[in-house]
Amino acid sequence: MMNNRFFLLVSGLVVAAAVAWGSAIPAAGQARSKPYTAPRTPDGQPDLQGFWTNATYTPLERPKGVTREFYTREEVLEIMKRQATEEAEQTQPGTIPDVHYDFTQFGLDRSQGAMALNLRTSLIVDPPDGRLPALSSDGRRRADERAAARKSRGGPHDAVQNEPLGSRCVLMDRNGPPMLGGAYNNTYQIVQAAGYVMVLVEMLHDARIIPLDGRPQLPPNVRQWTGSSRGRWDGQTLVIETTNLTDKFAFQGASENMRLTERFTRLDQETLRYQFTVDDPSTWTRPWTAEVPWKKDKGPIFEHACHEGNYGLYNTLAGARAEEKRAAEEAAKKKPQK
Amino acid sequence: MRNRLGTALATSLTLTVVAVTMAAGQNRSYRAPRAADGKPSFNGIWQAVNEAYWDVEAHAAAPGPVLELGAAHATAGGLSIIDGGTIPYKPEALKKKQENYANRLKLDPEIKCYLPGVPRANYMPYPFQIIQGPKYIMMAYTFAGAVRTIYMDEHKEAPADSWMGWSNGHWEGDTLVVDTTGFNDQTWFDRAGNFHSDALHVVERFTATGPDHLSYEATIEDPNVFTRAWTISMPLYRRLEKNAQLMEFRCVEFVEELIYGHLRKKPSQ
Amino acid sequence: MRTRRAVAGIGVALLLAAAPVMAHHAFSAEFDINKPFKLRGTLTKWEMINPHSWFHLDVKDESGTVVPWMIEGGSPNQLIKNGVTKNTLAIGTELVIEGYQAKDGANKGVGRNLLLADGRRLFLGSTESEK
Repeated sequence: MMNNRFFLLVSGLVVAAAVAWGSAIPAAGQARSKPYTAPRTPDGQPDLQGFWTNATYTPLERPKGVTREFYTREEVLEIMKRQATEEAEQTQPGTIPDVHYDFTQFGLDRSQGAMALNLRTSLIVDPPDGRLPALSSDGRRRADERAAARKSRGGPHDAVQNEPLGSRCVLMDRNGPPMLGGAYNNTYQIVQAAGYVMVLVEMLHDARIIPLDGRPQLPPNVRQWTGSSRGRWDGQTLVIETTNLTDKFAFQGASENMRLTERFTRLDQETLRYQFTVDDPSTWTRPWTAEVPWKKDKGPIFEHACHEGNYGLYNTLAGARAEEKRAAEEAAKKKPQK
Repeated sequence: MRNRLGTALATSLTLTVVAVTMAAGQNRSYRAPRAADGKPSFNGIWQAVNEAYWDVEAHAAAPGPVLELGAAHATAGGLSIIDGGTIPYKPEALKKKQENYANRLKLDPEIKCYLPGVPRANYMPYPFQIIQGPKYIMMAYTFAGAVRTIYMDEHKEAPADSWMGWSNGHWEGDTLVVDTTGFNDQTWFDRAGNFHSDALHVVERFTATGPDHLSYEATIEDPNVFTRAWTISMPLYRRLEKNAQLMEFRCVEFVEELIYGHLRKKPSQ
Repeated sequence: MRTRRAVAGIGVALLLAAAPVMAHHAFSAEFDINKPFKLRGTLTKWEMINPHSWFHLDVKDESGTVVPWMIEGGSPNQLIKNGVTKNTLAIGTELVIEGYQAKDGANKGVGRNLLLADGRRLFLGSTESEK
């Protein structure tokens, strides 16, 4: 029998979300009464430690028809309420979205957990129109090549290598870098030790270990999915430079030459500002910058043994083969007898 | 005159004793530098240097299970890391271990890039990093990017089972004691098929014995598999190279064909 | 009113641009929309794994034979943050599960709705079952 207290969790989680949304982060340009200074770790770094979430409803690019940089607080709360209702709505039986477990049942809706209030109309803050800059000619060429490669390799379930990286438990948006939220599992844990900052990404239990001692990056022939990262403190801001990426993740179409700069600043007890600049002349005609508020979240992070428990990938491939077999048998039955 | 000679003798005797103690390699009275919170600092990159990853019991060199890999994947001989030498299996469990060994090419979870579990992660032949924060000590391993969170502050029971277990840590003097439960039954202790059930309970003890050495002990209990608890021990060595760091080892990509290749669509005739 | 219209317009635009609410793999490729089921069974194991947990049930078929099923559910991580443990859902708990069966025909499915025997929804969300 299930413990009755779990029905109380329904109201508990809804209340938690409302409280989270109620605490606004200052939009750029808003005057502060007193600049916030983060407490220090025992070895003197500004303290960014704890569990954080980058869950957001804010899109990367400013929606068409929106020209403002910021909504009002009331507008955003209205939008979030609407998004929460949409998320929690029951799907209709017999429709594709219905072929899924219900996020709400497991507390996985973004509205059921912590979320920073963000007044921005897009995560992209530069270019000022809130949209990705134009692709360079090289960027356009590679985008065409990727599309052609996708066509030539066959169907999405023909082989494991054709499946999305997330389905294969190889890499997710939450890892990046840069680290961006998705529909669920948007939790991070920051732990700081002398000379290091570690950002543990829940998805794929990715421990990004950033040395702060000014050492050089890995040599250019060494390419890694999450690159090579080096950090330093610039006043209250942790600056992380990342190079040595591959072209296999291709964040928004980026090349292996992407140079990523991420910045963490603690704005108050409950909020980090995560900002990143993408510099990739092989792909875009100019660098671009985005900003995401991270909200303090509850721990713990439970082990994300994605690959170990990946029944779904097996089932998807086996299902596709079973359907082909059925279709072939049916076609054989229809063949005229000689 | 006599006092000065006595003093000189006493001094040289003391120096000899100190020299002998240090030569023995294990100076139990070593005082590690402190982290900012006053606890011994184990921050850094560490690695075990032994052959236990092949087989935690004493074993001779042996051919590997894959012909084409020849000597490159042959088992290297090694001494036991176990107090008392062998694992005290129950009789049925020993049979299962032997089956595991005979079928290790199919069954060893390491081959499929599955999380290595504890204590195996600590003596895989790759470096791991200890990141010692005030409330959490993180252990990040090279193989499969495995991570352990050691909860130093709030000790809870494992909410559910996992590959790397749920670790609660505390200090006993200068020794970090890590108590881990909440394991599933999926991991092995080595490449030789030594295994456990989901009742596994591991208590580890980390103590600095010098600026670049930790002594590591782990006591393993599992009433479903073993007749009693047993203990392993080994030194852990600091990786001293300039700019030593963990490299990515995202091995899922390397094993997909092995695991899912048989489900590839066959080309139509 | 201008304010109301502006809000409505923004809301629509934002919804269109919101991050896609999809699991990390295509469930409709794994499970068959044409094979809906409603099962009643007893829980033999809840594999609390992240990102997708699996409920293992013993289900009696029409002839009374007990058949093991496994049903895909959500990650337990948010539930764990709110106090759920492996002891919360007892082995032997009777569950009623509405879902869709695996495309390869195995006794596997995805649970779009998980209910206790008395009709209450498991864990969170509205307490009514759909249809």
